[in-house]
Amino acid sequence: MDIIHPQAGCSGGAEAVLGLQSNSSISIAYHPLFGPHDDLMLLELDEKLLPEILHQRVTLRGQPDEDAVLCTSSKTYAVKFVGTSNSVFLIPPSDKVSELCDKKNDDSMVVASVIKVAPGCMELVEVAPKLDKLKLLLSQNPYSFSEASEMDFSEERNKTKIGLYRWYDLVERLQASDEELKLGLQSLSAVEIDGYWRILDDKYMNGILNMLLHNVILNDWSINALNEDDVLGTLETDGFPRNIAKHCLQVYCSKVDEGDGVSCKWKLEERRVCGHLAREILKEGKMKMEIFMEKWTRKFPDGMHASFDILEGEVLTEKLGVETWVYSFSLSSLPSTPAERFAILFRERPKWEWKDLQPYVRDLRVPGLSSEGLLLKYTRRTQPTMGAEPVFSAR
Amino acid sequence: MQIQVKCSCGEGNCPEWAIVELQGVVEAQPSFVDRIQNLQIGVLCRPSSQENYTFTVGYHELTGSKVTLKKPILVLKKIKLQDKEEESEGDVSSTRVELDVIGVIRHKILFKTRPKALISSKDTSDHICKVLSMLISTICQRKSYCTKFRCATLIGSSCVNDKPDGCELYEDLKARPDDLKR
Repeated sequence: MDIIHPQAGCSGGAEAVLGLQSNSSISIAYHPLFGPHDDLMLLELDEKLLPEILHQRVTLRGQPDEDAVLCTSSKTYAVKFVGTSNSVFLIPPSDKVSELCDKKNDDSMVVASVIKVAPGCMELVEVAPKLDKLKLLLSQNPYSFSEASEMDFSEERNKTKIGLYRWYDLVERLQASDEELKLGLQSLSAVEIDGYWRILDDKYMNGILNMLLHNVILNDWSINALNEDDVLGTLETDGFPRNIAKHCLQVYCSKVDEGDGVSCKWKLEERRVCGHLAREILKEGKMKMEIFMEKWTRKFPDGMHASFDILEGEVLTEKLGVETWVYSFSLSSLPSTPAERFAILFRERPKWEWKDLQPYVRDLRVPGLSSEGLLLKYTRRTQPTMGAEPVFSAR
Repeated sequence: MQIQVKCSCGEGNCPEWAIVELQGVVEAQPSFVDRIQNLQIGVLCRPSSQENYTFTVGYHELTGSKVTLKKPILVLKKIKLQDKEEESEGDVSSTRVELDVIGVIRHKILFKTRPKALISSKDTSDHICKVLSMLISTICQRKSYCTKFRCATLIGSSCVNDKPDGCELYEDLKARPDDLKR
């Protein structure tokens, strides 16, 4: 259906309307193909998003039962339909402009045709990407030792692809832009194995880190200048595939320098390593502070000195009688949407001091809302006495 | 599920569409409701070099102006494509949906004042469309007279009456001189 086809007579289209000269008139008429045209839609958007659209970098994502979101390469927008009670006459451009119309005689008038009366327009509102589902999907089939040791790639094995997702599968299922999805995968420490994005199960992660720390001691390596080739080499001989070993480096270390052709140097990241060690120790449940500190510091590699503060966002303490107990409460296990996050936080503890609360809320992102705004919206702030620390509780 | 948004008109070549917007609803006479294609809605005039416009629909005249939109509006067309998936496991849908950008709107002619009624009892039946404003509860009382024959014929069009005495409305109004002076 070609809706820009000119009708018999003198068709001026949108150009005739927008270019109407002074002291002139044109006729506005229903197009020969006027109708509901439900396949035609209007979308209002910022000028700066136009290049993204024209370069085919924009898609709508979501499952049929979800509200549609529009994703550019780096941002996610909710799509809202705004209706209007006005009559919005939509006039397309004409195919063949003006030559015909210049020769018009005085009686006939240029006609601009209305193809549709638009019921409203779609608008975009920037939103945070919905990535909680990512963790759910990747947790269906975490990579484990048993899978790693399996050498059998029979037909059976390949067919059962439950819980296995390629990049494209994730894009089809999640409402986030490509960049946001990449960041989400990074924050889950996911790694691509055989084309599928996997998270490594706890035992496996623990195993590979322990092997790394063991090798540090064995070979008397400096934790601030680990040689990439050496590390990958020993981990490989210990049975870990090279790409997973590389992934381990990226999760627990940071690059020190590029090394110009020579192997790169990495250093252990205190926060990530000590955080992991703490999680392992507290797996069985809460522990008295003194006992925890003793076990925890004993596991540190040589040269690592960390204080308890480094565990903010990973553990919480509570006083039972005169004793302080420590238990695992990791930010990484909490939902990313503010409403759900605060619900769980206040279920854990009805009242929070800011210094304890901050590590668990500072990563919350709501476009258009500042962190103060977020606190205002989801918490009630009270100050028991002047000069005392403010306390936050549920609204 | 992903719906690709594309622009097949090539970068920077998106044709510009126009919008004429007014408050209220345009209704065709009942006999024309099912075949309004090609029917005239009204006449859009630009009386001066300013961006002011009048839109005359039936015996109502609207005044408005050309407005530049703060944010451009894209015209999208939903396209359904038949796809052949190469490896199909289980249920794989073979129709893909795409959104094609076929136009951009940067300006509209917006009418947001009350319509002015240009009454002629003879002419209303000649016009096929009339505007019902949802804001108006009473018909505008002003009458605009044709200066040639002093009858209430639509301003701008030629009066259908040749002789002043033949104008029915004029005879009617002669009986009420106060109305004439308005």
